Amino acid sequence: MSKRMEGPRWGWIILSIWGVFALLPIIYFASIALRPRNEIIAPVPIYFPTLTTETWFKIWTEWPIGLYFYNSIVAVSGSVFICLILGVPAAYALARYKFKGNADIGYYILSTKMMAPAAVVVPMFFLFGKLKLIDSVWALMLVYAAMNLSIVVWIIRSYMIDIHPEIEDAARTDGASDLRILWEIIIPMCMPGIITAAVIAAIFAMNEYLFTLIIASKNAYPLSVALANFSGGSDGIIYNAIALVGFLAFFPALLLVILIQNHLSRGLTMGAVKG
Amino acid sequence: MTDAALELPRIVIRRRSRFMRKAFPYLMVGPAVVYLLGITLWPGAFALYRSFYTGKFKWDYVGLENYRVLLGDEHFWTAVWNTLLLGSITLTIEFSIALLLAALVYRSPWVKGWRILFMLPMLFMPSAVGFLWKLIFNDGRVMADLLFRLGLVDGGVDWMAHTFNARFVLVLVDVWQWTPFLFIILVAGLQGQDKEIEEAARLDGASFARMFWNISLPLLRPIIAIALVLRGIDLLNNMSAVNIITQGSPAGDTETLSYFIYRTAFRSFDHGYASAASVLLLIATVILAQLLVRKFFRSGTES
Repeated sequence: MSKRMEGPRWGWIILSIWGVFALLPIIYFASIALRPRNEIIAPVPIYFPTLTTETWFKIWTEWPIGLYFYNSIVAVSGSVFICLILGVPAAYALARYKFKGNADIGYYILSTKMMAPAAVVVPMFFLFGKLKLIDSVWALMLVYAAMNLSIVVWIIRSYMIDIHPEIEDAARTDGASDLRILWEIIIPMCMPGIITAAVIAAIFAMNEYLFTLIIASKNAYPLSVALANFSGGSDGIIYNAIALVGFLAFFPALLLVILIQNHLSRGLTMGAVKG
Repeated sequence: MTDAALELPRIVIRRRSRFMRKAFPYLMVGPAVVYLLGITLWPGAFALYRSFYTGKFKWDYVGLENYRVLLGDEHFWTAVWNTLLLGSITLTIEFSIALLLAALVYRSPWVKGWRILFMLPMLFMPSAVGFLWKLIFNDGRVMADLLFRLGLVDGGVDWMAHTFNARFVLVLVDVWQWTPFLFIILVAGLQGQDKEIEEAARLDGASFARMFWNISLPLLRPIIAIALVLRGIDLLNNMSAVNIITQGSPAGDTETLSYFIYRTAFRSFDHGYASAASVLLLIATVILAQLLVRKFFRSGTES
């Protein structure tokens, strides 16, 4: 009786074309991770290579991939931790308190997200040089945290605004302090927002390239920049190592994103688009 | 006993000074603001200071010389132009595709599946994506081979030697990875719209395309604006693909502003000159941020 709501019947053809375009390079990339080194670059590209995982062991022994992984995990999780410690109270104040400058402070925090990283990368290099933090995961952690703090504050703030003020008012008449209300009522109630913010901050930190490139030079390499280091003299760029590490970073990101998939658009728009 | 336990906290609250009550929100938001100021204002001031010096291995005061040279530097203006040109072309293509895909999918029962599928490119590190496409276009010659098999070219294609080709590669890489970003936001925005309006329009005999164009799309405008602002900002900062795939070739025709600063500072080690460019970029983005943020996002407790 009612007409189709889903849109035109041929829609799936276009969707499939884009799906294939999205997927083919990934399949090719996977095949690179799975093929021997001499089949990567050939006079005529090899589309059906010998599949082997033997090279993985070689890659593992040739480069300290464990260290790169460790650096990534420390820098990323540390930065997310800083973001939450600083961001949750800030979000609470912005979402709940009427105070002079509330809107302006909110806008200031958001505007740091709009700033071009390239505009501060040169002074940052000297700043960390002075602090003796060049090639240190601590510097990466601090930079990632600064980069993501605005996003985290705005995402969590948007979830806090949605909580009914009556619940807090009830607790307040019962004599709970503001900090206790935050800790025991607000934080548990906006957990989805906090997790969304943490996941998005983690993925952005994992992907960061420019700052990482100038800060990390050997010991602090996380995965995103360690990739560029996979070139073994006469062998040129070792693409199967790059592909392997690319997928090592891809799978955790995929799991995290599936976890928050219903909050993803809200997270990516810093709370502006719900659903 | 129970009475006392109930009363005690109230007394504590009453005892809290007016000052404390006023200061509380500032104390909560303070650390985050201080941290952000420290990591934006301080480097900004330092860049400004260094921009008055030459920075090739020793620092000599030169006043405004860096700015004078910079404003007459052809490479700088090429980089500005490339950033805007590549950014706007890429954004237009990404938006058109994302809108088409979103329109086709947002009322489909399979929308979650499509979303996961389309999202996959976005989840790779941009540096890995850079190398993947470098392999496809350059080192592995896959793209040239495919085009050759289709009979579209007669032999190898040098993707980096021609301005158009090199720019095409950069646009394609970004479209492949970041169209889903816009797609996800647009789908969510469309799903949030009232189904009944659509239903009514369909019952009145409007085709899906007409209904979408005349009803859904105008309603989507604020969300489109936010999506474009966020993606546009990221495009202005695009540098990983440039650094990995083209490195500005041919002859600086794919050099973006971010890459220009990076190259000047960390390849030519001309830190003073790069600082001057940083200051100009910083001023531009601060102004841009003030305009965009206040226009498209709602702050304060009133919302």
